[in-house]
Amino acid sequence: MLFYALKRFGVAILVAVAVSIVTFSLLRFSGDPAAAMAGESATEEDIEYVRKHYGLDRPLPVQYADWAVKAMQGDFGESIYLKRAVSGILADRAPTTMILGALSLSFALILAIPLGVLAAMFPNTLVDRVALGIAVIGQALPSFFFALIMIIVFGVWLRWLPISGHASWLNFIMPSIALGYYATPAIMRLTRAGMMDVMSSDYIRTARAKGLKPRVVLFKHALRNAIIPVVSLSAVQLGFMLGGSIVIETIFSLNGLGNLAWQSIQRSDFEVMQAIVLTIASFYILLTFLADLLNAFLDPRIRVS
Amino acid sequence: MKRTIMTAAAVAAAVSMGASDAMAGKADDTLNWSTTREVDVALPFYNNVREMVIMQRHTWDNLLYRDTKTFEYKPLLATSFKWVNNKTLEFKIRKGVKFHNGASFSADDVVKTYNHVSSKDSGVLTKRNVSWIDHAEKVDADTVRVHLKKTFPAALEFVSGPMAIFPKDIWATARKDAKGKPDYGTVAAIGTGPYKTVKIVSGESVQMEKNTNYWKGSPKGQPSIGKINFRTVADPEAQIAELLSGSLDWIWDVPKDKAEELKLIGINNVMNVPTMRISYLTMDRAGRAGKGKDNPFYNKKVRRAIAHAIDRGAIAKEMVGGASQVIHSACFPTQFGCTQDVPQYKYDPAKSKKLLAEAGYPNGFTTDIFAYRQREYTEAVMGYLAKVGIKSSLKYMQYKALRGLVWEGKAPFHHMTWGSYSMNDVSAITSHFFQGKRDDYCRDADVTKWLAEGDSNVDPKVRKEAYKKALTRLQENVCWLPLFTYAKYYAFTHDLDFNPTADEIPRFFTAKWK
Amino acid sequence: MANGTVAAKLPSAQEILEPSASSLLLKRVFGHAGMTIGGGVLLFIFLIAILAPLLAPHDPFDQDLSKRFLDPVWGAKGTWLHPLGTDGFGRDYLSRMMFGAQTSLLIGFAAMLISGVIGTALGVAAGYFGGRVDMIITFIITTRLAMPVILVALVVVALIGSSLNIVIWVLGLLIWDRFAVVMRATTQQVRSMDYIAAAKALGCSTTRIIFTEIMPNVANALIVVATLEVAHAVLLEAALSFLGLGVQPPTPSWGLMISEGKGMMFFKAWVIAIPGFALFMLVLCINLMGDGIRDVTAPENRN
Repeated sequence: MLFYALKRFGVAILVAVAVSIVTFSLLRFSGDPAAAMAGESATEEDIEYVRKHYGLDRPLPVQYADWAVKAMQGDFGESIYLKRAVSGILADRAPTTMILGALSLSFALILAIPLGVLAAMFPNTLVDRVALGIAVIGQALPSFFFALIMIIVFGVWLRWLPISGHASWLNFIMPSIALGYYATPAIMRLTRAGMMDVMSSDYIRTARAKGLKPRVVLFKHALRNAIIPVVSLSAVQLGFMLGGSIVIETIFSLNGLGNLAWQSIQRSDFEVMQAIVLTIASFYILLTFLADLLNAFLDPRIRVS
Repeated sequence: MKRTIMTAAAVAAAVSMGASDAMAGKADDTLNWSTTREVDVALPFYNNVREMVIMQRHTWDNLLYRDTKTFEYKPLLATSFKWVNNKTLEFKIRKGVKFHNGASFSADDVVKTYNHVSSKDSGVLTKRNVSWIDHAEKVDADTVRVHLKKTFPAALEFVSGPMAIFPKDIWATARKDAKGKPDYGTVAAIGTGPYKTVKIVSGESVQMEKNTNYWKGSPKGQPSIGKINFRTVADPEAQIAELLSGSLDWIWDVPKDKAEELKLIGINNVMNVPTMRISYLTMDRAGRAGKGKDNPFYNKKVRRAIAHAIDRGAIAKEMVGGASQVIHSACFPTQFGCTQDVPQYKYDPAKSKKLLAEAGYPNGFTTDIFAYRQREYTEAVMGYLAKVGIKSSLKYMQYKALRGLVWEGKAPFHHMTWGSYSMNDVSAITSHFFQGKRDDYCRDADVTKWLAEGDSNVDPKVRKEAYKKALTRLQENVCWLPLFTYAKYYAFTHDLDFNPTADEIPRFFTAKWK
Repeated sequence: MANGTVAAKLPSAQEILEPSASSLLLKRVFGHAGMTIGGGVLLFIFLIAILAPLLAPHDPFDQDLSKRFLDPVWGAKGTWLHPLGTDGFGRDYLSRMMFGAQTSLLIGFAAMLISGVIGTALGVAAGYFGGRVDMIITFIITTRLAMPVILVALVVVALIGSSLNIVIWVLGLLIWDRFAVVMRATTQQVRSMDYIAAAKALGCSTTRIIFTEIMPNVANALIVVATLEVAHAVLLEAALSFLGLGVQPPTPSWGLMISEGKGMMFFKAWVIAIPGFALFMLVLCINLMGDGIRDVTAPENRN
């Protein structure tokens, strides 16, 4: 198990490095950081000065190495616009996005798992169809449009919920629903399939034959086994949600990493953009790594192959 | 049907104002105002956004105050002033005024403020506001002289506008930045004004409280509203929602369609007020972006064609608002030296197409157009251009980025605005755009000469003559085409007695609850 | 199923090819009618997109500032002259909706083709050659999976400017991962078949084997993923345009129309409801079609 964990960890690190290299190169090739940083009253001389001063005239690999070494120590450089250390800015904004991600995933799970279980328990019935219908809609509805509709209905017509800012937990309800709804179909489908698989397996038939009550069978055994793939899927979906938060946070004016990314894009704040992409990617990598481990722990066959 | 739902909801909201948002409006003696912009540094000189200009008038006093109705310069922290000679202003200093921190105001504070901001290392953002100052000196306890670098009749505009007076010791309290240099934007917001700045959350909010010890006899009057809280609400829809629900009392810059709808709902005051901001199109007569066929704007016929292609009246009336007017000269009508008696270009798409054909573009051409705000106005312009065959592609960006491109000569066709810092003198606009510097795409030596004449002469008749020649030539060149003046829509609660002014500086210190 | 080598772990192709919620729904409620309905609506949208220049009642770029935000025909002051009303520049909404269909479909298909070529090439190579090649390609796929697509797309577009072509290429170069994962898994399955060994024994060249033996057998899975990716690209473009970094005005795009209409959404909800609903229908039908194809071509998939 330990060997497996170390192997996966090594790969995770490599992937993180690869992501940082790709992002770094993308930014450098797509625009001129010196011009963006020199900003306002920049003349050609000013831009050249910035280029020299920040070492932007060095070969790319050297610049990357320099950045990488600092990044490993937690120093992501300084934001040109806010004139603060990037790591500080990220630390300020990260909690909002983490909360949003956690709440969105919670919403998706709370909606998807029971629906999946019900659908599996009563296949071909109205329940099944409703569950599948909800999933079908979730896959096709653009999340930003869904968000706007909710704002109109719940924010202005009914006035139940606040539509922007981060004043209280109420502000997270609509964003979490908008963000989480997109993940619901996949989780529901997997839960349903997993449940049906397990329920028809020998293991369960034996348990039933032993006379255990259906509900016990369902929750103690079937669900527990069916959940395993859902765990990895949830980790992946959470990773996607963190990336997709930029649209939702912008619509609801939540001051998280997504909103920060949007603002940095508009302000050509390279250092921040790079740090955010890497941060979100790292979270995804971390989540999938943990999911891998959990899977391997729960299902020994995975470790062996 | 929809409107009924909206009204019902909004009225219910207004009635239950106390429910979710406590600090709202008259009930709390708190005025909550908001714009979509962030204020990160809440200090004059070190932040030049409009919101800061507004807060500056509340927390700080200047030596003089320009009356919003008569436009005369009234005594504020100075009890009187005079021109000693063309390059020297003398002020008598008021006694008995205290700063918000209790320190007494004196001539030393004036001298230190003027000398600090005009010094080389001050780091002041808008150099123009302070570059006219050579130095200030204390003549005696009651008298200060400000020496100008050269004859500059518009100096009084700056004295009464951006030149806020700070306590003399404040600059020494600046925190050092990462490189060890003092960052003056970090000093405390202390002034002598009718409101004290009490709390700043950078990028989110600025809270002000009534200065109950504000000196009597000020032309600004005595403040009435107890608390004035500014909050950034980045999303325009959220602003509307909050205004309707009562958690915001005052917003502005509402687009015409939304404002008209708000007016129909009726629970707020909606006003359309003229401003000094001018929307203009620059076309590269100077050939800074090239002089060949790849820069069609270098061709005068093309520029004239564009001037005839746009129905400015329709944009002003339908998109901006009733108080917007079409103007024809590179200045705002109330500015000293401005005249509309210049060549005018009427909306005539047929003529436009003819001129394009004569210029060698019978099928029009493709171009980029640069802009940074109210993209709907630029898109409307693009729509008119498309009708005469000019296909444009919008390069919409942040102001700073666009300004950089403009300065480098890379924006031969741009749609921008200029507010003249709300100053009522033609030089506030002409000296920025037409003196051969980096914002100048006209580069006409005669114009530069005439403007210099107007700027450096103290005789009003000479100035007007010179400015008229320059403005006329500018419109003959069609390098800087004024489109219309901005008119701002304000929306605020009925409980508030507030009078907007054309200089886009809301004076909440004269507002009160009804 | 899991590839436990040093290579990075990929999502299971099974997950992607599993009968989706909609296909199960189809089976239960409509039999294969779902695919018919989905296909029918999709065809309808296609025809409108292609025939837009002929069918549209007005020029979608024709602005008339005196006729801004007119109500649709069912509204208080609506007329049949503009059945879906007008937008903020007085342009006919119905015409813009029709031309917007062109934009969505064009970008959807073009991005799908680009990502399909890239993903299939990578996936088939990894699945067929295995070993080192597989390890490297799997690593590449995992790296791409770790990068937040919409963020990266926004960053790139913000820096190099945005236009129809750029959006197509940026999306195409980013969304190939599902192609790669599925093609890899299906190629692995097919590769272990007897006829491949036979072809090799006969001395057929690798290229020949791939194109004549492998490709036809992975074609079914390829089509399924292709439809999913069209839908994916359509949604991504809509989001990019909504944020202002996709298709540029005055080009009609449903996502852009939602963004342009957002200002009036409290007062005239139809301005965003109409393009939003259209997007929903388009993506829904594409998904229904894709799932129908999956069912029809791979009936041995478990329920």
